[in-house]
Amino acid sequence: MSTTSQKHRDFVAEPMGDKPVTALSGIGEALGKKLEEQGFDKAFVVLGQFLLLRKDRELFAEWLKDASGANARQAGACSQCLQEWCDAFL
Amino acid sequence: MASTQLTDEQLFSELKRLGFTPGPLTENTRPVYLKKLKKLREEQQQQRSRGAKGRNSGSISNNSGSGGTNGNTAAGASGFRTRAPLNAAPSPGGRRDLNEKRTDRAGKFVLGFSSDESDAEAPLKKGGPSHNGSRRDRGSGPQSRCVRPTQETPAAARRSPGAHLGLSAVRRSAFTSPWWTDQAKSDLGETQSCVAKDNDYGEPEERDDSEEETEKSSRTVNGNRASYAADASKLAGDYSDSDEEEDREGQRYRARRHLSRGEPKSASSPYRSVRESESGQEKASGIIAVNDPPGVGSLDVMGERGEDDDETSEFSGGLFNRSYPKSSSFISGVMDEKDGETSSSRPAGCSKNHVDGGDGVASRFRIGLRPRFSSCNNSLSTTYRPNHSNHTGSNHSYSQAAHKHKQAVPEDELLQQFRREEVSSTGGFSAHYLSMFLLTAACLFFVVLGLMYLRMRGSSASEGVVGKCCVSGCNSPGGDYDCLNNTEKDLILSLLLQLHDHLADIAGEHDCKDLTDPLNRSISFSEATQYLKLRNKDYENWIQSSLEWIIKTGETAGIRLIAADPTQPVEDVSEIYRLESTHPRMSFLCRFRRAFLIVIYRAILILTGIGVVWGLMCYMKYRWRREEEETRQMYDMVERIIDVLRSHNEACQDNKELQPYLPIPHVRDSLVQPQERKKMKKVWDRAVTFLSANESRIRTETQRIGGADFLVWRWLQPSMSCDKMCSIPSKVWQGKAFPLDRRNSPPNSLTPCLKIRNMFDPVMEIGENWHLAIHEAILEKCSDNDGIVHIAVDKNSREGCVYVKCLSAEHAGKAFKALHGSWFDGKLVTVKYLRLDRYHQRFPQALACSTPLKPSNSSMNTMVRLHQRSSPSSSLAFS
Repeated sequence: MSTTSQKHRDFVAEPMGDKPVTALSGIGEALGKKLEEQGFDKAFVVLGQFLLLRKDRELFAEWLKDASGANARQAGACSQCLQEWCDAFL
Repeated sequence: MASTQLTDEQLFSELKRLGFTPGPLTENTRPVYLKKLKKLREEQQQQRSRGAKGRNSGSISNNSGSGGTNGNTAAGASGFRTRAPLNAAPSPGGRRDLNEKRTDRAGKFVLGFSSDESDAEAPLKKGGPSHNGSRRDRGSGPQSRCVRPTQETPAAARRSPGAHLGLSAVRRSAFTSPWWTDQAKSDLGETQSCVAKDNDYGEPEERDDSEEETEKSSRTVNGNRASYAADASKLAGDYSDSDEEEDREGQRYRARRHLSRGEPKSASSPYRSVRESESGQEKASGIIAVNDPPGVGSLDVMGERGEDDDETSEFSGGLFNRSYPKSSSFISGVMDEKDGETSSSRPAGCSKNHVDGGDGVASRFRIGLRPRFSSCNNSLSTTYRPNHSNHTGSNHSYSQAAHKHKQAVPEDELLQQFRREEVSSTGGFSAHYLSMFLLTAACLFFVVLGLMYLRMRGSSASEGVVGKCCVSGCNSPGGDYDCLNNTEKDLILSLLLQLHDHLADIAGEHDCKDLTDPLNRSISFSEATQYLKLRNKDYENWIQSSLEWIIKTGETAGIRLIAADPTQPVEDVSEIYRLESTHPRMSFLCRFRRAFLIVIYRAILILTGIGVVWGLMCYMKYRWRREEEETRQMYDMVERIIDVLRSHNEACQDNKELQPYLPIPHVRDSLVQPQERKKMKKVWDRAVTFLSANESRIRTETQRIGGADFLVWRWLQPSMSCDKMCSIPSKVWQGKAFPLDRRNSPPNSLTPCLKIRNMFDPVMEIGENWHLAIHEAILEKCSDNDGIVHIAVDKNSREGCVYVKCLSAEHAGKAFKALHGSWFDGKLVTVKYLRLDRYHQRFPQALACSTPLKPSNSSMNTMVRLHQRSSPSSSLAFS
């Protein structure tokens, strides 16, 4: 079992551009909808939130759980995904 | 709490006071920070209440690490305290993750790319030994990694200056309970880094990969007690992108096995973080009684289980904390004995303890436990014994037992795997024999059948025939024989039989001896009568009648009667000129030989037929391919001509002195090298005819140049602006997406082999030689670097992989810097290092390459864009 999913790898492999928020690892349809309702319709907006939290994975995971009802695993995956993306492209 | 009434500034300052640097407070981040504030306050209270308990210090270490990550360098000391009770929160894990990420940045990026299907590392099914070995290495791995940062990386906050101090302090001081509380910070600082490293194993597989490799290298280091330098170099050499999935599986497998052995002791788990909730019951058993000597196994369980999850970071911290109170005596023993060893052993112990995925801490004190560190464990346990007095005998013996048990576990796996292979091999062996046996049996059966058939055919033919005659004898239409008595019939029959046999023999002889004289196959009438008379005097009278009977009944009786004129059928006995047997009797060998020869001839015939057909097809294919190739060359030539003409036309626009046409021979001579002219003549001619027939923008005319008449081409199309836009060269370098700094790339080049990804899209490529363009592009991009010796384009890879081998690691580093993060053909190119031995496994032809490659021509076609641009095209990065 790989720890990072294909989704994660796909996301981290290239600049996110205009990808929707469901392209983030850990964010599926349901979570994506919830985030979109709150205004986070694109992955870069969520990235913005991540950066606002000073790239603190744990804080971001907390935030994600509060904002979208994600569970710990999903939030962790998303934060990891974003962090790696930042490491690669930021 | 009154946190809801806090304004943003108040919240901000509160968080700052508690040592946490928050980001900007917006509507979204506010609730998060509020929660954080709450937690911090709780921790503060907890910490004050708890005082200097081991756990706190343990958590302190974690928190200090995380604090450092958050840029809290100055507040390190204070951060320690405030962080103490943070165990319950998910933050430790997160912090630790961040810590590791920061510190492991060096190695991380190398591992930053997950392996894919076209990796040099095929997902081999590593056997038990390598599996265990890798796991073993893991233990040693973290050690080296943790050592290196402590030594090399400059002050990260976490690495308190007391790190080394702590190291020595740990070594020498007597370890009682108060010990670690005092030394906690310094030791923590040192172990912290180790923890951080180990926590990395919870990270995505990329890290696992490299870590595994580093462990491997450091394993030998440990074994040899080599210096760190050797370790580092080994690390460099061993980087690979091996598949980490099997590792994961192995880890899980091991975890489960350990779990089964774990003793679920009740233990408070204040540190259970949210993430651990998933592992439910495992947690309970895991957290365990680290405090008990028998809890050894459970610790392992924890550690093992921790590996499986991403959130193992908590584990190591938690374990670390928990194990502190109980194993102080252990520690002393360990440390003391370690004193006797070289310096590297100390880190070995350290790293071992911190093992990846959290079992590290436990192992620190239970060196023998982890199978991973079995190599080190062995050595350590041997040194352990002399220092037996330092720790409780029970502990030691238990650890030994546990160690043995642990060791047995991976060996069991190993054995099982071998057994499986053995079984399959023996099974295959017997199956092979069985199949051979069956085959031979079938062959024998058919041979016997054939033999019997032949024999029967030879012998019974005559009898059958004669028998038939017998039966029908009385009913013959001839009527003459109606009332023959039995003796006469018998006589006739025996006569005929004799005759038949004789004739058969003669015919058989004749056939077998391959005589070409047909006459000898049959015997004349007189000879026959003579023979029969010899046999039996009585036959004389009956010869005529029997032969008449043969004629009348129309039964051949195996005898053919030949008249003087062979084509005429025999009507009367008087016409019989010769007799011949229709069933020649030949020896078995003769028959077999004939049959064999016949079969052979037929087989040869068929094979020849097939061969001819196949040859024809090959030839056709070859011709077809040749034609394709030529057509492609022709089109290629046509395009080049068009380009030349167009550019000439443009040049003419600028420079009015040039003639707007070009002589055809001149074009040819400029496009085709002299040595190729003869070869390309046909292609050229075809191109010329194609142009004159199909290209409307070029006109062929005759001009007088320099006194001689030339056929010239004139470019007709007025230059259009869109023409320039359409000519976007396809395979060019287009700039760098991001600057390469320490975070993006490894600080030093690790191996001489690179894997470059995303240089092309295999489905979009057409033609046969596009990979040469890729070669060119790479060579041109790294034109300043004379060290590229082998390039291989993996045409089938989905990710567009290109493998490059350089003369040395520095050359590879330079190439890495030149290529990584650049845009090529609209795609962002990424590079990572590969292990040299794996590279050679995949490309054995690269073993011999040692001459640097050069671009084929000095016109840097792929760098056109770059040279045109004056400013870096970083804007393309986020397109």
